[in-house]
Order: sequence, then structure tokens, then C-alpha cells
Amino acid sequence: MELFRRRTRRPTLDLDDIQATVLRARPEPYFGTHAIIEITDQAAGRQLLRRLAPLVSSAARWDEPRSSWMALAISYAGLVALGVPQDSLESFPANFRAGMAARADRLRDTGPNAPQHWEAPWGSGRAHLAVSVYADNEDDWRGTMAGYERQLQDLAGVRLLSHQDFGATGFNVFGYRDGFSQPVVEGSGAEPLPGDGRPIKAGEFVLGYPSETGQPLPMPTPDVLGRNGTYVVFRKYHSHVATFNRYLRDNASTEEDRELLAAKLVGRWRSGAPLALTPEQDDPAVGADPRRINDFDYTDDPRGLRTPLGSHIRRMNPRSTKLETLSDVNIRRIIRRSTSFGEPVVPTVLTADGADRGLDFIALGARAIDNVEFLQSEWVNSGNFVGLGKEKDPMISLQDKGAYFTVPGSPPRRVHGIQSFNTLRGGEYLFMPSLSAIHWLAG
Amino acid sequence: MGEHDIQTRFQELPAAVREKVDTVLTDAKIAVKLKIAEILADPAEHAEHAVTTAGRVGAKSGEVSELTAIMPLKPNGAERLRKFFTLVGGNLAGAGQVGTLHNMRFVFLDNDTKLLFATAYDGEWDPYIDDFATKIPEFMDYLFGNVEGWPGITSPAVKDFITQHQIPAEAWFVSHPNITVAEANRLKRQDAAVQTFVDALN
Repeated sequence: MELFRRRTRRPTLDLDDIQATVLRARPEPYFGTHAIIEITDQAAGRQLLRRLAPLVSSAARWDEPRSSWMALAISYAGLVALGVPQDSLESFPANFRAGMAARADRLRDTGPNAPQHWEAPWGSGRAHLAVSVYADNEDDWRGTMAGYERQLQDLAGVRLLSHQDFGATGFNVFGYRDGFSQPVVEGSGAEPLPGDGRPIKAGEFVLGYPSETGQPLPMPTPDVLGRNGTYVVFRKYHSHVATFNRYLRDNASTEEDRELLAAKLVGRWRSGAPLALTPEQDDPAVGADPRRINDFDYTDDPRGLRTPLGSHIRRMNPRSTKLETLSDVNIRRIIRRSTSFGEPVVPTVLTADGADRGLDFIALGARAIDNVEFLQSEWVNSGNFVGLGKEKDPMISLQDKGAYFTVPGSPPRRVHGIQSFNTLRGGEYLFMPSLSAIHWLAG
Repeated sequence: MGEHDIQTRFQELPAAVREKVDTVLTDAKIAVKLKIAEILADPAEHAEHAVTTAGRVGAKSGEVSELTAIMPLKPNGAERLRKFFTLVGGNLAGAGQVGTLHNMRFVFLDNDTKLLFATAYDGEWDPYIDDFATKIPEFMDYLFGNVEGWPGITSPAVKDFITQHQIPAEAWFVSHPNITVAEANRLKRQDAAVQTFVDALN
């Protein structure tokens, strides 16, 4: 599917200074790597930033295809390791400074998702720099990676802690198309596609511009450090596809029924076609059409008879759903740059093979940290906001023993035995600086 | 040494010491009574009422949190607020749209110089403050604009301002800690449906 939006208006944002990943869509297919680096020596850390700065791409001409680009983000521990002045450090929000592991209670990261079970280097306080390379073909991916690795090679005082490749065709390991629903950022020049809703104020996604309140959101100081930057929430999930397949097998007897139950959990069919548009069966033509795939809301489905109120996509983006609690859906939007890793699993496989596969959930935005904490506690691990009590998101929550999912209907169907289909393996809160801020940080 | 001797010797001790001993004994009696009550109580009911934290500040029982704040009023702040409260007859029905608010009260203290604001709400401290800033900013500023130093609901400083004036409760009880406002609404709808059904049966 053609994921690139056209630019139909003159951009008013400072695109030359904003990192590419903020506006540049993930290609299809895509290849890439997330590398995590520790800074053990301040001077070496700054030296590395000086070397990487020219490789970090800007959002200029984000609408034109590009074979590869690099993104750079820094954790609070990373800013400390770089020797950022104390008053600047204190100007960052409290949850960013605490780091993701310390916010486990707020994020509902308990039990198997708790930080003590995370993979290294997550939660160790040593994940300082995150370098991500995205590419639309294997050669350019390898080429860009080689360029970055050369900069890292001979530098004592910085250490590569982890190197995780990702890549997919645009379908995640469960077999569902993903990554195509994004907010339209006002001032980016992007053409809104049918169903995108109104453009959201740029200050919700990039620091230094008016947000939905009319005011810019708080920004770290000095101005050169904060402006045109944004926050990134990175969460690595292991996906239990065989468990998902088994749940479908246990609760539906024909392939048709299994696919319908799965669509009720997700809110979409595997092609990406939404239940809202094709409630009876998948329609791959809708899934492959960027002008139709999001062209719906829930105004005529208040009870969730087509798209369940508790389905994954309706929870994550309630659109026109009348919520039980006073929530502004326009301040809860995030730019999603998630990446899949590992081999997909077909629906007939019912036993886990132990292989590493899953999703790097990546959310960008000026409120990304607040919003992911909000999503985790209110929209993922609770059902209260849509009158579903303690029911949770069927795809990404941590399910309790005896949990169930309700498929609305006459009568409603309560499907017992739902499990956690994704387990958190680690993550961190990061700051994605502007290109001028990278130079400022490099000293 | 007989009991009489102990009593005599006890009475010979300085008054301060005797008072201390009496206090310790009284405290111990209450502690023992409470412990026995706890042992006899239904453990499930006891667990249901467990007091946890509402996040940033305040106590939470089940799904319901408490917020108590005492804030200094601007000169004539109480007068302006009272005018509004009188106008609506003390009825704040519109607040129902918040959907997480069980109750709230506004009380003037110390000769109209301070405002006591107390509320019980669903969930935790942080989640919905941001929503108030974009959904009902005029109303928030209209009410709390009478408070000395109120930075405005859209100000980045607003959360710190509220936190500074909030006094966390030392004890917190909610009769149905797991019935949120949304859940109560659902139960009311369900009951109405059941009543209609029963009526139709007859």
C-alpha cells in the first residue's frame, strides 16, 4: 500500500530542524535497526553526537520517498551522561526524568511485564542513546548501518548495548496490517485522507508550537534544546501469536468464525479493512486503499454491534464514540512509528516455537509520555471509559486470570479465557532533539 | 509483691509517668480491639477497602480517590463565588458530564478568606486534568480564578499548584470502592431494562 501522504499545503513548521521520523511514514516493506548505546565518558558521548549529527535526517520534503534515514533519541540518563547543565535537566518533566522502569505503577507494568523481568539493557539506567535506521530496501539499510557503525567503532567511552533488527512487509507478526493510522499534524502540509479527522495542532507533536489548549506545552530549556524536539516512548513487546491462534481455535469452530472473532478483538480484518466498513468478511481492496481504510467513525454504532467498544482500534482511537468520562480524544493522539521483528506466524500454528518475535511500540509526541501513561491506565488496562468495567484491551493489555472479552450483540457473547497476547520486554522514555539541539548537546 | 503493693507503688510515681503509662495501656487496648475486629472481619471485604495511592497525591480505595484542598481566596473571591453558587441554588448538575466525579463540595473557611474544595473521583490524580484544560477550560478558570495565585487551567504550572494546596487524607472509606460513576450509570441502565422486562412479563 502507498503509505506516503501528499503534501498539499505549504508547511509552516521548521521542517529543516525537526527529525525526519516525526513526519516521515514507515515504508512498505521496511527494514531497519534500533541500536542502544551507553555513554561511559562525557567527552566521548559528545564526540559521538558530533559524528552522528550529519547522519540524522530532517523532516524537510518528508513527502518524497527516501531510501533510508536515521533517527536519534536520548534518555534522561543519557542527558546526564552528556553533562547537560543541571537547570536544563530540571526543566524536563518528572516522568521523563524518572524513566520508564520507575513509572511501572503508572504504566500498569506489573507481573510478567514488571521491570525486573525486562531484557538487558532496558531498565538498567544504561540505555542512553537510541539510534534507529529505517530503510525501504535491504542494501540501503545495510549501507546506512555501516555508516553509523564506522562512527561508533573507534570511540572509547561509548558502548553498544543492544542491536535489534526489525523489518516486515507492513503486516505484524499476528498477520495484521498495521502502522497506517496517524494524526494529521497541522502545519506539516499533509493532505488529510478521508477519516483522518481534522488536523491536530502541531504543538501536540512538536515542542514550541501552539497545542490544542492554544498554548505551547512546557518545553525544556534553553530554547535551542527544547524547540522542534519531541518525546518518544519505546516499548518492546514479545508477541504470543500461537496463544492468540489457540484462543481463536478454542472459541470458534470454523475458519470463518475464527476470523470474525479475531476481527472483533482487533476491530479490523487482517487486510486492515475495518469492521465498520465491512462487518461480515474481509475486503482486501479496502485494506489496500489508503483513501478507504480509515474512512469511518462510530456515530452509527454506539453499542458496538459492528466494532466492539472494547476492540483494540476503538480503544486506541475512539473517534466519535461517546465516552463515559470527559476525555478530549484530540489530545490523546500519538504519532506511531512501531516496527515489527521476527517471523510472522500463520493462524494454523497453535504451539509456541520459542522464537523472538513481536513489536517495538514507538509513540512520538509532545505529550507522548503522559499519553502512553494515560492510555495504559485508562484505555488499555481498564474498560471504565466505555462502560466496560474491568475489561481490558484484548491485544496489548496484561490480562488477569479469568478475563474475558464481550462481543456486543443480541444476545452479547462473552468469550472467556482471553490471555495476554503481548508481553513487555523493556522500554524507555526518550527525548528526540531537533537537529540544532543535537549540535548544542554535542557542545 | 501483691497487687495492692503494685498499685501503691504506681500511685507513688510522678504524675507524668502515670499519665504516660495510662496512655500506652489505652492505646494497647484499642490496638488489640482493632486487631480482633480485623481477624473476625471478612477478609474479602477487608481487601476490597484497601487504601492505595491516587498517584501524585491523595488516597484511593478500589477505584475511588479523594482530593481535599484548602486554597487562599482573592479579595472578594468568596463573594463572587457565593453569587454564582446562589444563582444556581448550590446545584452543580452540569458537572455530571465529567463522568469521573462522585461528589464535590465548596466550603468557605476563616471568614471567607479560604476555600475548601473536597471531592471523590474515579481513577488517579493525573489522567483527566489535561482533558479539563481543553474540554472545560472556561469553567475551571471561572471557579478557581478566584483563588490567589491560580495559574490558569492551561498553564504548565497548574498541576504543581493544585498539588501544593492538596492535603492528603489520613484515612479513606468508600462503601462501594469498585463502583465507578460509569459503572453506576451502567447498573442504572441495566436495572431499568430488567424492570421493563419484568413489567412486560406480567
